[in-house]
Amino acid sequence: MNNRNRTPFTMTAASALVLAATTALAQEADTQAEEPGEYKPLALEHRPPPIRLQGDYAGAIELGLAYTSDDNYMFGQYNGLQEDEVTIIGNLQWQDFSRGESYWQASMTDLGLDTREGQVTWGKPDRLRVSLGFDSQQQVRNNSGRTPFRGGDNQLLPDNWVSGSTTSDWTVLDESLRQFDRELDRDRFFLEASAKLSDRWRMETSLSYEEKEGNGDTGGAIYTDASAGDAVLLRSPVDYRTTEFDIGLAYSGQRLHLDGHLAYSDFDNKDDLLSWQNPYSSFGPRVRYPEGVGGLGLAPDNDQVSGRLTGHYIFSSDARLQFDGSYAVASQDQNYLDYSVNQALLVTEPLPASDFDGEVATSTFNTKLLLRPLAKLNAQLFYKIRDRDYDADRNGYRYIRGDGSDQPGQALTVYNTNHDFRSQTTGAELSYRLPLRSKLSFEYAYEKVERKNAAVEETQEDRYTLAYRIQPWSNFSARMSLLYGDRAADDYEWAQSYYALLDSELINATPENQRYINHPELSQYYLSNRERWEGKVDLSYLPAERWNLNLNLLWRDDDFDESNLGLTESEWGRAHFSVSYTASDTLSGSVYTGYDRFEGDQTSRAFRGGQEKNAFATYPPLPQASDPQQDWDINTTDSSFTVGTNLLWQPVEALELSLDYSYVDTTSEQDYSTRPGGSVSASDLPDVDTTLHHFEASGTWHLREALSLRLHYQYYDFDSNDWAWNNVQADTIGKVLTFGQDNPNEEIHYVGASVIYRWQ
Amino acid sequence: MVGKRLNAAVLFCTALLLSVASWGQDDAACFDCHADEDDSPVHTVYKTKHGSLGGGGVAACTACHGPSEAHNRRGRRNPPDISFGPRWPSDVETRNGSCLNCHENNAQLLWMGSAHQEESLSCDACHNSHQKTDLAMAEESAQEQCLTCHTQVRAQVHLPSRHPIAEGKTACVDCHNPHGGLGDTALHQVSLNDNCFSCHQEKRGPFLWEHAPVAEDCALCHRPHGSVNDRLLTARGPALCQQCHAAAFHPSVPYGSEGLPGGTANRNLLGKNCLNCHSQIHGSNHPSGARLTR
Repeated sequence: MNNRNRTPFTMTAASALVLAATTALAQEADTQAEEPGEYKPLALEHRPPPIRLQGDYAGAIELGLAYTSDDNYMFGQYNGLQEDEVTIIGNLQWQDFSRGESYWQASMTDLGLDTREGQVTWGKPDRLRVSLGFDSQQQVRNNSGRTPFRGGDNQLLPDNWVSGSTTSDWTVLDESLRQFDRELDRDRFFLEASAKLSDRWRMETSLSYEEKEGNGDTGGAIYTDASAGDAVLLRSPVDYRTTEFDIGLAYSGQRLHLDGHLAYSDFDNKDDLLSWQNPYSSFGPRVRYPEGVGGLGLAPDNDQVSGRLTGHYIFSSDARLQFDGSYAVASQDQNYLDYSVNQALLVTEPLPASDFDGEVATSTFNTKLLLRPLAKLNAQLFYKIRDRDYDADRNGYRYIRGDGSDQPGQALTVYNTNHDFRSQTTGAELSYRLPLRSKLSFEYAYEKVERKNAAVEETQEDRYTLAYRIQPWSNFSARMSLLYGDRAADDYEWAQSYYALLDSELINATPENQRYINHPELSQYYLSNRERWEGKVDLSYLPAERWNLNLNLLWRDDDFDESNLGLTESEWGRAHFSVSYTASDTLSGSVYTGYDRFEGDQTSRAFRGGQEKNAFATYPPLPQASDPQQDWDINTTDSSFTVGTNLLWQPVEALELSLDYSYVDTTSEQDYSTRPGGSVSASDLPDVDTTLHHFEASGTWHLREALSLRLHYQYYDFDSNDWAWNNVQADTIGKVLTFGQDNPNEEIHYVGASVIYRWQ
Repeated sequence: MVGKRLNAAVLFCTALLLSVASWGQDDAACFDCHADEDDSPVHTVYKTKHGSLGGGGVAACTACHGPSEAHNRRGRRNPPDISFGPRWPSDVETRNGSCLNCHENNAQLLWMGSAHQEESLSCDACHNSHQKTDLAMAEESAQEQCLTCHTQVRAQVHLPSRHPIAEGKTACVDCHNPHGGLGDTALHQVSLNDNCFSCHQEKRGPFLWEHAPVAEDCALCHRPHGSVNDRLLTARGPALCQQCHAAAFHPSVPYGSEGLPGGTANRNLLGKNCLNCHSQIHGSNHPSGARLTR
């Protein structure tokens, strides 16, 4: 560890000692200290008062019917309402604490939908609790696409398939296309228990089992090199099982509190391989249709064993130590697939091992020392470490390119590498209370990240944060903070991945000035020098008793000043404003609006291989990799504008109304700029816009104290024009068979009517 | 002598009667004034877990509000020792202390120094122990509570690509611990990646061929609350990939509108762009997957 590395850690340790000593000396003085006026967070005033019937009943059951007006996949993306159909509304809440010694709680929601969930709990207050439950989730993605492939994890083309070297040659494609549902269903069942063993000891345990099934999507290509790939988009079967077990023991002493857990997680993927018949006829007879086949390796089975200890130790009312540490080992030893699913391809050298048989150990330890050395001064000293350590053999793999040719020669062997990672952060925060219920804080943090087998082995960052919070009047509060971060990176070893991945025979055969994968002037932004400025402002104002105004601003600028290529600068701006008015316990409303903008500047240099890949030439004629005229720039901007309003109104005791409206407008821009004299150009891409109008209205009429009728209406209108899919039919791209999916354009009405019965 | 003894006996009996009477009044002390009426929230606590504290009855009151002797004597003039309002709210530290007496463990272990504690939030700002259903513990209403203050997230959860937060299927508290944590943004797990892997175990690996940034920080490519871009991505492809990749041939080339349908219909721009071929972006265990295409 050099001096720069050691200094922050040494300073933190020294500061801890000094502050701890000051805290000890200041104990007595503190009791005499004058208490300043109490700061009160005004944002809470936003909240509408809870509706009485929400929380005052022991049980409620809701039954009804709902109708969704059209098939969709945006409105129903997660809520189970993706089909044009009548569905059952079914919700149940029940609890019984009347027995004194024991209690029951039960809840079931969305019983008529695929997103239903429920839980039953029995317990003895403060002594024992046992819960049994399930949670079903569903994700629906754009299901307007079609595919000619049939089958599950081995996808074949129809018998009458007519092949060709590009998608437009496939004369039976259109008649072969079949729609499929891109849906994932997730069902989780769990059992949880906790028990108080004594006044000091408590234990808890949980067991869960989850199934995730359905269809995702993926891309696959059959190729011999990167310039000639025959790609297809495929339905990807998902059939996962995850079993998790956790047991914990907690100790609560006078000064020491501990919470320890041991956990085991087992992930099992029923499918190892997704294979598809090659629809193209670009390559030789063993690779082209009908014999050719491609195969993708799917997520391997893995398991993880972990332990975690969280706790704190109270030295005094003004000093405590908090800590949270964990150690987890994730292992994976699934048998390797063959180099190629295509058994016709010649393999002369077998796999170096039958399976990966590797593991990664992740250790974390976060700790914080909280001190109050003076009545108005708070101090925090913190240290965090996260370490990811691989234990896996490094082997050479003479891999087959894209199931497209025989196994290549020894020179094209590639080697797997481990990406060990260690991040350490230490620092301190001091905050001092000033008049007018204000507080001034300063935080310094130093972070060191070490990586193995990365282009940058070490980065170090200093971060300084100045924050100020003031509440000069009881109806106004302001919070501001300014952060400056300066990250310094070791030399960017641009050739590192080249030497780590490739075989010495190939390296030696390559001219020295071409021994790289990424261009030497590219410094990957997350590994490189960075100067960060970030400012935040949050204002809350209550102009009158029942009004609340809130303004939230954020601006962040990251300048990767040592990077010539890749992401060189990014900026994030945010402004959110909300107004709420609580006229009475029966009428409240709010309006909010927000704007977010993410902008990035990036540069690259277009170059080919061979002689053009020489990145170090200085005399003309310059090869492409050395020629700045080959540079191009792109500015990307994502912005979103949101407006929302909601109203809760109880015009009479027996009637509750709520209205909610959201409008979201997003734009994604990608603009290229041409350099004077540049030889590479590209035209700006069209903006990608999405627009959402979502209106919800519900009315609950309490016919009697125990019986209510509820009507619920939703209007959902979503449009988008993503150029990635706009007018892209299955055969639009010559070398990629797509799904030919549409962009979402939905207008949905949802109506629900239900009866709610409650009991005491 | 007899008179003295009689006086002593009378005094003793009076004291005994008074003490018995005052002991007997204990049960009635709170309920004398706080009658079980329809609109009284006081008695609702007996239909919750907190109603049986200390054995139930008055003991449940004093367990949270303290012995409150002054209040017991002159209830209209003196507040309870610990009051949660609305008339005489105790200071935040006192109110929270009452809750932490029992709850300073498990999820609340790291409350001190947490963002909410630093913001002087009281437990009763979110929780209502007198309500049969504590809205902070019910998934959907808890979400509303978070979003009334964190308004910037309210906008993010309505973006085209998002977790099912608005639908209540992913709760804020599934990822964040509102009572504090020592990691970033008070996540439940010790790191962001561990938080993501707790639901997405298939991305946990380890893989034979790793995509190094994936193992380091999911947030390098994804925005967890919501994004303008598909799959919660921080930018659209292929530009997103080109932030870090500038290799010879196709990774270094700009892909402009010339590559749209009607033009060259470029395979690296349309559809899933880079992922048309490099689909195993989170890592591959296939022996031929070094380029994350298998």
